[in-house]
Amino acid sequence: MIAANEVKERVERLIVDSAMFIDRDELEAWLDCFEEQSRYVVMPRNNRELGLPVGLMHCDSKDRIKDRVVCLRHANKFNPHFDRHIVGASRINSVAQDIAAVETNFMIVQTNKAGESKLFCAGCYEDRIRVGKDGAKFVERIALLDTFSIPTMLATPV
Amino acid sequence: MNDVSSVWQRNDYSRVPYRLYHDPDVYREEQERIFRGPTWSVLGLEAEIPRPGDYRVTHVGDTQVVFNRDKEGTVGAFVNRCAHRGAEIVREPYGNVGDFTCIYHAWCYSQKGDLIGVPFVRGVNKKGGMPADFDMRKHGLSKLRVQVWNGIVFGTFREAVEPLESYLGALLVENIGEIFARPIRLLGYQRQRVSANWKSYLENTRDAYHASLLHEFNRTFALSRLTQTSGGYMDERHRHSMVFQFKGSDSDKDAQKAYSDDRVQRGEYMKLQDPSLVEYIKENRTGVSTRIISIFPNAVVHQIANSLGIRRVRPLGVGEFEVEFILFGYQDDDEAMTAHRVNQANMVGPSGLISMEDGEALELVMRATAADTEGAGVVEMGGTGPMVNLDSRVNEMPVRGFWSFYSELMGIEPRGAQR
Repeated sequence: MIAANEVKERVERLIVDSAMFIDRDELEAWLDCFEEQSRYVVMPRNNRELGLPVGLMHCDSKDRIKDRVVCLRHANKFNPHFDRHIVGASRINSVAQDIAAVETNFMIVQTNKAGESKLFCAGCYEDRIRVGKDGAKFVERIALLDTFSIPTMLATPV
Repeated sequence: MNDVSSVWQRNDYSRVPYRLYHDPDVYREEQERIFRGPTWSVLGLEAEIPRPGDYRVTHVGDTQVVFNRDKEGTVGAFVNRCAHRGAEIVREPYGNVGDFTCIYHAWCYSQKGDLIGVPFVRGVNKKGGMPADFDMRKHGLSKLRVQVWNGIVFGTFREAVEPLESYLGALLVENIGEIFARPIRLLGYQRQRVSANWKSYLENTRDAYHASLLHEFNRTFALSRLTQTSGGYMDERHRHSMVFQFKGSDSDKDAQKAYSDDRVQRGEYMKLQDPSLVEYIKENRTGVSTRIISIFPNAVVHQIANSLGIRRVRPLGVGEFEVEFILFGYQDDDEAMTAHRVNQANMVGPSGLISMEDGEALELVMRATAADTEGAGVVEMGGTGPMVNLDSRVNEMPVRGFWSFYSELMGIEPRGAQR
């Protein structure tokens, strides 16, 4: 049994690290934030409200999350930009066995290569995180997007 | 409108004037001549409003339109604007109601859009109220003519417009008819805003040539290659189009050589950990694996492997548009097929491994053409002169077809115009 304050610390560290990895374009390190059995979905809020399954990115296994990153690295051409994830305080809704259910609001500010910044999107991470002795990893990350009409494109993970 | 009648350098539309993407006068004219003109616009799908009382807000050009199902089950549509002072009546994007009441002065309309309630119409204590000759029957909501075809809801503002099936033509009737032959099940929406002119998207979906050049994912996984059995077809009037191909009709080796020789492919193809993403489970008669079917003026039906969808295109002023992808499967799909379609939705929309690049490409065009509105783009792939169907995707013919019908409606056809 891990003490509550340690769970909180590990959860928060994972959430901040995973955001930083994306902002620094260290997507391979971002992949390591996920368990071997895990899923990652970017879900537009309107689909959630209508009970519809389609996401913008919908990866039901770690292999599929990896494929997203590999495609981004090798096949896709996207708008050159920098991301800054601004994550709010995490709310740990429950801890059962070694899985924490956590919600964290986020915004992403996107800056183009001319140095102009815009609010790109806002939403909430709905995470299920396995918290172990040696750290924490995502079992499931759903990025629920309030900004479900995407400006131009959403290429890099949220 | 400023004089744009001489805007075309060539009568076969093989030069596309940049000005048509940027001129606000042209945009205003389009609202009248295209969206309120002799055209049928896609409003949405019957599946979006399955129950009596269901409604959904959509757009025909700049006009906000509500389409709905009344208690008898009939589908109708009206402009979302109160007949009293012009306020938006419906404020939620979708819902289910027994009637429509404007919040401003509580005027109330039936599900058919007829005015059924005006508070204090006769005043209070014989004071105030509407004049005696006020006739509620003359103050209903502004209605569109609606026709449901294969589960797709079409609407028009015109009384005089050709019958829907003749407007669509045999090519679309056959191919869209086939995609919608089984009852569909909605799987979700994907929306995207692009800072470019709406017409550039209609060109994009008619541009058979770009699909394997811009979209490396297509090329890598044989979803679309110019070396495949493929083509770009149009209806008889050349206003709509279908670009298509057959996965499996070329070899990786030949394709790699062809694209390498033309300096497109650099290096080996990448591999997926989970190739089920690009697997095509045949589910139609001919085995065609991709069909991008453009419906003039505001919609696209797609089949990309087993991803099925219809896209609504909404202009938002001269320099912006929104595309809404409505993805669906069939009601009789089993769980595995539904999961497969949800997985393949990864290929489309604003995060689509295939389609994400379109938004970026169109913004590049919009930015680079802004400063030179006298210039023009070159559209000659597949040949110039008469517009014909080609069994090749090295082909931009349907783009010229789009402009020919557009110009006819806009009254800007050049002398001796090809149609």
